[in-house]
Amino acid sequence: MAEYANLLRRAWGQIRGHGGVRGLLLQFFRVNDLKTGALVGVDKYGNKYYEDKKNCFFGRHRWVIYTKEMNGKNTTWEVDGSMVPAEWHRWLHSMTDDPPTTHPPEPKKFFAEVHQFNVSGTPQQYVPYPTTRKKIHEWVPPKAGAQ
Amino acid sequence: MLRLPSVGRTLAGAAKGGLAPANPVRAPARAASNMVEVFVDGKPVEVDPGTTVLQACEKAGVQIPRFCYHERLSVAGNCRMCLVEIEKAPKPVAACAMPVMKGWNILTNSEKTRKAREGVMEFLLANHPLDCPICDQGGECDLQDQSMQFGSDRSRFSEGKRAVEDKNIGPLIKTIMTRCIQCTRCVRFASEIAGVEDLGTTGRGNDLQIGTYVEKMFMSELSGNVIDVCPVGALTSKPYAFTARPWETRKTESIDVLDALGSNIVVSTRGGEVMRVMPRLHEDINEEWISDKTRFAYDGLKRQRLTQPLVKDGSGQLTPTSWEEALTRVAGALQSVRGSEVAAVAGGMADAEALVSLKDLLNRLDSENLCTEEVFPMAGAGTDLRSNYLLNTRIAGIEESDLLLLVGTNPRYEAPLFNARVRKSWLHNELRVAMVGHQVDLTYTYDHLGEETSVLKELADGTHPFCQVLAAAKRPVVVVGSSALQREDGAAILSAVSTIAQNARTSSGVEDGWKVLSVLHRVASQVAALDLGYRAGVDAIRKNPPKVLFLLGADAGCISRADLPKDCFVIYQGHHGDIGATMADVVLPGAAYTEKNGTYVNTEGRSQHTRVAVTPPGMARDDWKILRAVSELAGVTLPYDSLDEVRSRLAEVSPNLVRYDDVEGANYFKQAVELATMVNQDLIAAPLVPPQVSAKDFYMTDSISRASQTMAKDLRFALIVGFKFLLYVSITAKCVCVCVCVCVDVVSESCQWLKRS
Amino acid sequence: MASAAATRTAAGAAKIVKPIFSRDVDEAKRRVRELYRAWYREIPNTVTMYHLDITIRQGRDKVREMFDKNKNVTDPRVIDMLVIKGKIDLQETIHVWKQRTHLMRYFHETEEPRANDFLSKFYKGHDP
Repeated sequence: MAEYANLLRRAWGQIRGHGGVRGLLLQFFRVNDLKTGALVGVDKYGNKYYEDKKNCFFGRHRWVIYTKEMNGKNTTWEVDGSMVPAEWHRWLHSMTDDPPTTHPPEPKKFFAEVHQFNVSGTPQQYVPYPTTRKKIHEWVPPKAGAQ
Repeated sequence: MLRLPSVGRTLAGAAKGGLAPANPVRAPARAASNMVEVFVDGKPVEVDPGTTVLQACEKAGVQIPRFCYHERLSVAGNCRMCLVEIEKAPKPVAACAMPVMKGWNILTNSEKTRKAREGVMEFLLANHPLDCPICDQGGECDLQDQSMQFGSDRSRFSEGKRAVEDKNIGPLIKTIMTRCIQCTRCVRFASEIAGVEDLGTTGRGNDLQIGTYVEKMFMSELSGNVIDVCPVGALTSKPYAFTARPWETRKTESIDVLDALGSNIVVSTRGGEVMRVMPRLHEDINEEWISDKTRFAYDGLKRQRLTQPLVKDGSGQLTPTSWEEALTRVAGALQSVRGSEVAAVAGGMADAEALVSLKDLLNRLDSENLCTEEVFPMAGAGTDLRSNYLLNTRIAGIEESDLLLLVGTNPRYEAPLFNARVRKSWLHNELRVAMVGHQVDLTYTYDHLGEETSVLKELADGTHPFCQVLAAAKRPVVVVGSSALQREDGAAILSAVSTIAQNARTSSGVEDGWKVLSVLHRVASQVAALDLGYRAGVDAIRKNPPKVLFLLGADAGCISRADLPKDCFVIYQGHHGDIGATMADVVLPGAAYTEKNGTYVNTEGRSQHTRVAVTPPGMARDDWKILRAVSELAGVTLPYDSLDEVRSRLAEVSPNLVRYDDVEGANYFKQAVELATMVNQDLIAAPLVPPQVSAKDFYMTDSISRASQTMAKDLRFALIVGFKFLLYVSITAKCVCVCVCVCVDVVSESCQWLKRS
Repeated sequence: MASAAATRTAAGAAKIVKPIFSRDVDEAKRRVRELYRAWYREIPNTVTMYHLDITIRQGRDKVREMFDKNKNVTDPRVIDMLVIKGKIDLQETIHVWKQRTHLMRYFHETEEPRANDFLSKFYKGHDP
C-alpha cells in the first residue's frame, strides 16, 4: 500500500512540477525524459536550467529545457545542443558549480552579443576549398546575348 | 668584343669539310693517304687532318670537360676547361681549339691535366655564386656537374665575389648575370645561328660582361635556345622560373605541331601539368634547336581549354553537358540530313588518326565534303600528285644546294628552323638565296627580285635576268610558301613556280634524285590531310553550304556563320575555345598535341608521332575516339576500337603515314608540270606578301599560341621595347642634331669673328 | 626393361591418387551436404550477430548460390578442398572474425561490371 502511495506521490509531484498533464506530455515528447528539479536560472533566450542533486546521480543532475524560439528559429521540436550560450555551458557541464546568475562572467570583448547556433550541416557551414592555382583554365563560352 | 669570326668561320668550314666531304667518291682515297694517327691515353685513333684534340678524344670515346666549346658553334677557346696534356708539350693545350698533329699522345687523365682542370675550375668558381639551391639550372648545370667531377673540394679565394647587374632582354629569357662564366656561347649562338647581332661582350678581364649594349629585347625567333646553350644558370627560362626541378619532371619525347616542320621535342611534365618544352636532337629537322613558339607556347595548353562537352540551349547559350547528351545531339544531327548536306573542315593541328576517322565517318554517311582550312590549288595536278605539295628537297637537303629561290614566303616566321638551316648553308656552303615576295629580314642576304607576280611570269618565261643565275646553278631549289598559294591565283602561282623549277632542273643537269620544287607549309596537319584525300580549301563549302558542318579544330576563321545558312548545325571538336567553338552548336572537347598519340606528317612528308605526356583535361577525350563514338551513335560504326586498329586503317589509306620517321619521296614532277600548264588562270597583280611579316605575326598564329600569355607578353614587350628603342634613337639623334647645330653655330660665329678681326 | 618398369610404376601412381579426405565421390558429396547443413543452420545466427540488412531467406539463397557455383566439380579431391575452404569460411563467420563488409561482399552490391564495349569505355574515362 505504501508503494502505491509513493507512486501516486511521485506522479503528483511530476504533474505539478511540469504544470499539469499537458506540460508533462509536452516535456515528455520534447525531452524524452521526465525530471523535476530546482530552476537555477533562465538565460536571455529563455532556456531554463535545472538542477536536482537529490534524486539524480552525478552527470544527470543538471539539465536544460530549451526555449521554443531562439534567434528567429522555431525550436519547439528542433532542439540542438549548441543553443546553450557559453556562460551556461560551463555550469551545465559541471566545469563549475557557480551558475552565471550568481557569478556573472567577466565581460570580454570576444563574447558574442547574440549566441549563434552551430552551422554544421546547413548551407552556412564552412567548406574547405583549395587555394592553389588551377592547373587548367577552362574556356567560358561567351554569353548568348553578347554575340 | 671577344669574337673570332674569321678563325671561327674557317675552323667550322674545315670541320664541316671533314665531317661531310663534298665528293663522297674521292673520300676513301684521301682517307688512306691523309689520315692522321694520334693516341688518346695511349690508344691509337685515326682522324682527319685539321681535327681538334677534343674531337679526336671524342672519337676515341673520351669526353673532355668543356664550357665554351659547342659542336654547332664556332670555337672560342676562352673557358680553358678543356686543357689537356700532350706528351712532350711544355704546357697543357686547349683541346677545343688545337688541331692534332701526327703522333701526338693526348693524356686526358694525367696528373697535369687534372691539376689544370682543377685550377680552371677554381678560377671559374671564384666569381660564381654558390646559389645552386635556388638556381633554376640546378641539376642540369654543366658547371655543377663538372665541379663535382673535376673540381677541388675547397677554394683558396677569400676575396669578395664579383656581382653583375641583371639585364632585361625580354619576357622569355631570365638573366642572372652574376652566374655568367663568360663562355660566350650565347653570343656566338645569336650571331651565327640566330643571325641577330644583339648579344655581345663589353669590358675586359674581371669586368667582362655579356649583354645587349643598350637595353633592348633579344629579338630572335630562336632566342629560347640560348637557355639550352648556356652551361650555367645565367640564362634561364622566365616562364619556367622556380616552377620545377629537372629530376622531378617526367620527360616525354614528342613532336611539335605549332608549325609544319614537326620539330622533335621533349615535354617535361609534373603532376599532370606541362612544365616546359625542350628540343630533342633530330639532325634532319631541327638539329638541336626549336623556335620560341614551340618552346614557350605551352602555357597556352592550360588556358582557354575545352574540358567538357557544351551544347547550345534554348536561349542560344553554350552550356556544359554530359558526353551522352552531346554525342546524341551530334548523331541526331548527322542522321537527320542527307549525306551530301554534311561537310567537315579540318584545322591545322588535327592528327592523322582523327582525320582518317572523320573521313571514314563522313564517307559512311555518303558525304565527300571534307576540306582543310589551308588552301592549296586544286587545278592542274592539284593534290593528286604528292610531289606537288611536299618540301621535296627536305630540310637537310638545303645544305647540299647552291641556289635557293624563295617565293612568297617568310621562312623566318613560318618555319624558323628551316630558316636557320638556310642561314647555316648560306654561312658555310655559300648558298645563294633569291626571293620573290615581300622584302623581309631573313637574317641573311638575298637577291630580292621584286614582290610582283609579274616577276614570276618573267622567271617562268626565261626573260628575267635572274634566269641566267638559275640556269647556272648546280643544285637549285625553289621553295614556294603555302601562304602564297592561299591567294585566288594560287594555281597560277604554283604553275609558274613549277615551270621555273622544271626549267632550273633541266638546265642544271642535276642527277635524278635531286628535287627542285618544294612547298613550305605553315600548319602541321596539312600534308597528312592531303595524303588522306582531303580537299584543300573551304571554297566547296562556301559554294554549297551544308546543313551540318563538322569543324575538327578549325580555328583559322575560314568559315564563319555568315557563310552558312541560318539553320546550319555546327559541331566543333577541338581543344581550345577559339573562333570555331564560339560559332558552334555543340562543342566536343578533344585533346591537344601533348595529350594524345597522334600522327603528324611534316612539310617534307616525314611522318612522326606525338606521345601522351599528360591526360586530356576534364572530360576531354582523344579525337579519334570521339569520332568513333559519334559513328556508333549515328549508326555507322567505324571498324576500329584501338589506336593500333586506327593506325592499320591509316596504313590502308596511305602506308607512309605509319612508317614513322621515314620520308616517303615523291616523283612525277614532269607530269605535274604538264598538268600545271593546263591551268588557265592569270596571275593577279597584287604583290606577294606573306601574312607573317613581322615578329608580331609570329607569336599568335593558332589556338594554342593565341591562348598563351607568354606569347602575348612577348609581343607586348617587343612593342614596348621597340618603342623605347625608337625613343632612345630619336633622343640620341636629337642630341646629335643639337650638337651639330651648336658646333655649326660656333664655327660660323668664330669664322665671322675671325673675318671681322 | 628398367625403363618399362618405371613407366608402369608412374602409370600406377597416376591412377591411384592420395585422397584428401574422401575416397569416392559419394563420400565427398556427403561432406558437401554436411557443410551445407551447417551453413544453413548458421545463417539466422549470422544475420543477427552481424546486424545484416538481409532476410534469412536471402542469406540462405546466397549460400545455395555459392554451392551451386561449383556443382559441376566432380573430382573428389577438388570437392574436398572446396569443403575445407567452406569450413574455414564458416568458422570465421561463426567466431565473428569477419566484419559486416566481408559478408556483404558476397552480394556484390557496390561492384560495377567492367565496361567492355567501346562506347561505355568512352563514357567512363580517359583510358578505358
